[in-house]
Amino acid sequence: MIDFLFNTTLGFFILTLLKAFALLVPLLMCVAYLTYAERKVLGAMQMRKGPNVVGPFGLFQPFADAIKMLMKETIIPSGANPVLFLLAPMLTFGLAMIAWAVIPVNDGWAIADINVGVLYLFAISSLGVYGVIISGWASNSKYPFLGALRSAAQMVSYEVSMGFVMVCVLLCVGSLNLNKIVMAQQTIWFCIPLFPMFVIFFISTLAETNRAPFDIPEGESEIVAGFFLEYSAMAFALFFLGEYANMILMASMTTILFLGGWLPPFGIPTPSWMGPIWFILKDCVVLFFFLWTRATFPRYRYDQLMRLGWKVFLPFSLFYLVLVAGVLLAFGWLPHAA
Amino acid sequence: MVKVTVDGIDVDVPPRSNVLQACEAAGKEIPRFCYHERLSVAGNCRMCLVEIEKAPPKPFASCAYPVNEGMVVHTDTPMVKKARRGVMEFLLINHPLDCPICDQGGECDLQDQAMGYGGDSSRYDESKRAVKDKDLGPLVKTVMTRCIHCTRCIRFSTEIAGVSEMGATARGEGMEVGTYVQKALSSELSGNLIDICPVGALTSKPYAFVARPWELKKTDSVDVLDAVGTNIRVDSRGPEVLRILPRLNEDVNEEWLADKGRFSVDGLKRRRLDSCWVKRDGKLVKATWEEAFTAIDGKLKGLAGDRIGAIAGDLADAESMLALKDLMGALGSSNLDCRQDGAVYDASRREFYTFNTSIAGIEEADAILIVGSNPRIEAPLINARIRKRFLAGGVRIGLIGAAADLTYPVEHIGTTPAALSDPAVAEVLKAAKKPMLILGAGALARADGAALLAECWKLAAASSMLTTDWHGFNVLQLAASRVAGLDLGFLPGKGGKGLAGMLGGGVDLLWLLGADEFDTAKIGASTFVVYQGHHGDKGAARADVILPGAAYTEKNGTYVNTEGRAQRGQLAIYPPGDAREDWKILRAVSGWIGKHLPYDDLAGVRARLEAVNPVFARVDILPRFGGNETAAPQGGALGDAAFVPAIANYYQTDPVSRASPTMAECTAAHAPALAAAAE
Amino acid sequence: MTFLDRTARSFLLSELLSGMSLTFRYMFRPKVTLNYPYEKGPISPRFKGEHALRRYPNGEERCIACKLCEAVCPAQAITIEAEPRDDGSRRTTRYDIDMTKCIYCGLCEEACPVDAIVEGPNFEFATETREELLYDKDKLLANGDRWEPELARRLELDAPYR
Repeated sequence: MIDFLFNTTLGFFILTLLKAFALLVPLLMCVAYLTYAERKVLGAMQMRKGPNVVGPFGLFQPFADAIKMLMKETIIPSGANPVLFLLAPMLTFGLAMIAWAVIPVNDGWAIADINVGVLYLFAISSLGVYGVIISGWASNSKYPFLGALRSAAQMVSYEVSMGFVMVCVLLCVGSLNLNKIVMAQQTIWFCIPLFPMFVIFFISTLAETNRAPFDIPEGESEIVAGFFLEYSAMAFALFFLGEYANMILMASMTTILFLGGWLPPFGIPTPSWMGPIWFILKDCVVLFFFLWTRATFPRYRYDQLMRLGWKVFLPFSLFYLVLVAGVLLAFGWLPHAA
Repeated sequence: MVKVTVDGIDVDVPPRSNVLQACEAAGKEIPRFCYHERLSVAGNCRMCLVEIEKAPPKPFASCAYPVNEGMVVHTDTPMVKKARRGVMEFLLINHPLDCPICDQGGECDLQDQAMGYGGDSSRYDESKRAVKDKDLGPLVKTVMTRCIHCTRCIRFSTEIAGVSEMGATARGEGMEVGTYVQKALSSELSGNLIDICPVGALTSKPYAFVARPWELKKTDSVDVLDAVGTNIRVDSRGPEVLRILPRLNEDVNEEWLADKGRFSVDGLKRRRLDSCWVKRDGKLVKATWEEAFTAIDGKLKGLAGDRIGAIAGDLADAESMLALKDLMGALGSSNLDCRQDGAVYDASRREFYTFNTSIAGIEEADAILIVGSNPRIEAPLINARIRKRFLAGGVRIGLIGAAADLTYPVEHIGTTPAALSDPAVAEVLKAAKKPMLILGAGALARADGAALLAECWKLAAASSMLTTDWHGFNVLQLAASRVAGLDLGFLPGKGGKGLAGMLGGGVDLLWLLGADEFDTAKIGASTFVVYQGHHGDKGAARADVILPGAAYTEKNGTYVNTEGRAQRGQLAIYPPGDAREDWKILRAVSGWIGKHLPYDDLAGVRARLEAVNPVFARVDILPRFGGNETAAPQGGALGDAAFVPAIANYYQTDPVSRASPTMAECTAAHAPALAAAAE
Repeated sequence: MTFLDRTARSFLLSELLSGMSLTFRYMFRPKVTLNYPYEKGPISPRFKGEHALRRYPNGEERCIACKLCEAVCPAQAITIEAEPRDDGSRRTTRYDIDMTKCIYCGLCEEACPVDAIVEGPNFEFATETREELLYDKDKLLANGDRWEPELARRLELDAPYR
């Protein structure tokens, strides 16, 4: 059996499928509970109780929501392009799942341990904007259209500085392989030497996932709900799942690039099966920061967002890139090409 | 003219006006309860107080104070305001605070004026007075505790209605208004007491607690239950007509409405035809329009034009009569008749069948001869005009016909046509400057109708009735549709059969347009009867096919009253069920049988009406004309039978009033013998 | 100096951090919300909840069909039909409130001269179908009978302010 799985082509496919399931099912559970956590954390910070009726402490709330979403009627606006209208949420959700293929949760525990992992992640997360634009256009309605335009501009702007931040990390590692990036942090997590880049990267991920305070594509007080205004029921749920899966993905990227992935903190010796637990704990911390910022900061205005992206983050990350490269070169710390 | 200054505004008013009229002319609103421009001045409510300069320093009741040259009147000084507030406080001492359960609520003079001129509270905390309610018959409901003793009702019944049955008993705190003995008011105008009462003491009994004025949709229309053409306002809510009120028209009804027109509304909801019926195996069964039309079409096929006939009823509008006439013409038939009573008219000149003096013209007449008519029953509002003329004085009124109480004294000359040749009559008419003669349409239905018409005309021509600026010859019609029918020529054409000819098998298909007032038993047994109308009455009972039409509140129709005045009623509510406006039904039938009538909308029908007779273009306006042509109509030998009343029971003369429970109650109250006979 | 100070603050994100510390501290404050289905807040005597038609203590219904509530209702949610009852008094034959149209403004209550139509304290009358929210006279009178002690107390409490 084991032989079949590891040595035949068909076995390889089945194994990969099994791996994908092993990853995606817990991931979707995480997404579900991330929504619950968000409501609880926001509630607590606003001195409310949050969901507490369905199940003990409201723990079954995500399932109640899921059932509700499934039971509702999918409404396709008469002016919409039905094919694209339904394609958009599928695309968003699918892309959010695909990116997980290269995320290592422990040493070598990735579905595809490829050498261009960072590039792959970057490419997939950039594709996410298509779901938004398609939904905004296919809805044939003004608010979704405005939301989609804003979202496109925002994602493009922040990917630039995100790219430079990543280049900083890559300079220090000398590889695009996510596994190697983590292993390079055994001595010290990159969040310490590259702290300013860490902050910029975190803020950019907020913008990349359309999270508060950069949630202007949704901006409920100005454009109602933004690009998914016309969506209901399962189509809406797919957007919702995609957005939260993206949040977890971004948290994982932060973990891998800056927080040492599955490595235990301060070099505490732990058995290797503890890796995923460390990884999840770090993810949780990052995600808590996501929620925390949402509870704390009001939404940016569109021009402020653009100013921050192009006039602050871009020059600063460029400067820091030069600085990092200079320091590495001057002290001869450049890693050898692998 | 007298020059008066009201609040700084100079107005000229006729001498003998009162101060209140001068204030009205200046555009100042004076509150009042007892004053009414058509009644005598009582001056007992004291609400119309004003201040007059250079007069004793007290408020004056403006309704009872005549104007003087150069008088200076103030209507809004502190004294006037205080006086009005005081009067209002007195009036409200004994007036109950039961507006929420009062039917007058929302259209109550006392309510409005208490808001406008009263104070905010009362200082009176003794017990309020309570008065026992009076029974004024089936039409007027009384809540006498609400009465403020303005005496308008008393003055109306004595002056306008001419029945001295209401009055006040006792004085001061103990004063009560009512009939001296408990009895129903014996007037055909009693409904106007409801309008005239400024508070909720007299309200409509059938309408009790039915609706509030603000809920009602108001539609201007014309009453068709007699030939006066009273201008009415139809108040409806949703799909029902709830009440009918008079509309002001000085030339026709002033501001009154006869009881039949006002209280027959509940008949519009009962015994209605709301779907087609077709006779199958001797039994009428419900049918669709298609089935009904197919049945008619099947009968019409192969039928010669002269075997088809049509009779128009008394409530028909001009549009539907025109459409029916055109349809019959298209079928090649000239068997038409709009005279269900078999009256004889000379339709060659319009003055032979209309009320030429005009209703307002009655007020100018100085001698009136009524022939074969009881205007009190046949046209209560015309009778009220004659009474108004009588009250003004200097008129002699003669009656030839059945003796009756016309509410004013008449000289009863005789009961047979022979009285027409009484030399005394001719003498009085000759001596008068503006004599008039009213010939009842009931008399024309006699066997010697044509002779009567000619004889009366001769009498008119012999006196000064026919001069260039005065036309004193009048025919008082009974049916709202009659003049329009005659104007349209809804009469047997060349070689055509009249009513009598069509009955007894004279035609094979008889189209009844709401015709119920003739003996349907005389229709030939083999005649196929199409009844188009709104009530299941006599005509519908005999019908082989029933087409549901619209009652007068449910269609846009043109009616010509006895004066020859074309007036238009508007659609207030839609006809019930499958029923449709009558001309549309006829248009649809014409399409079905392939004889398309050349109009598709109301404007088209009306254009055709005007083309047929230009009088239909002259809506609401009636120019006065003189009797220039004196040639008499065709006559004959006068009979010697006594005149009989044309209407036996005022309250039930047509399908609508026969279906009305209120009218049945009135019949029971006023003519118990007739009510018993009906059962 | 101020320039340096401001730049330093801006680059060290001190304002953002102080904001975040504030929300973090609030996270541990006691909650201010009620645990609604199990706990309920106090309700003013003027609370405008579900409608009810009241009766006099002798069982006679108060409504006299004056139609003032129907006239004043800004949402036109009330429909009344009236006719004289056998004893000649003015009563409704139909009193309908479309609770889906009602905006709970309380004007009907204000307009009523006999305190017949009132808005009670009950706000938990959700239904599963729309039709159940079209209240007729029987339903309203039943509401009145059910809530009468509470309704009377509320009117009494509010009376001094009228």
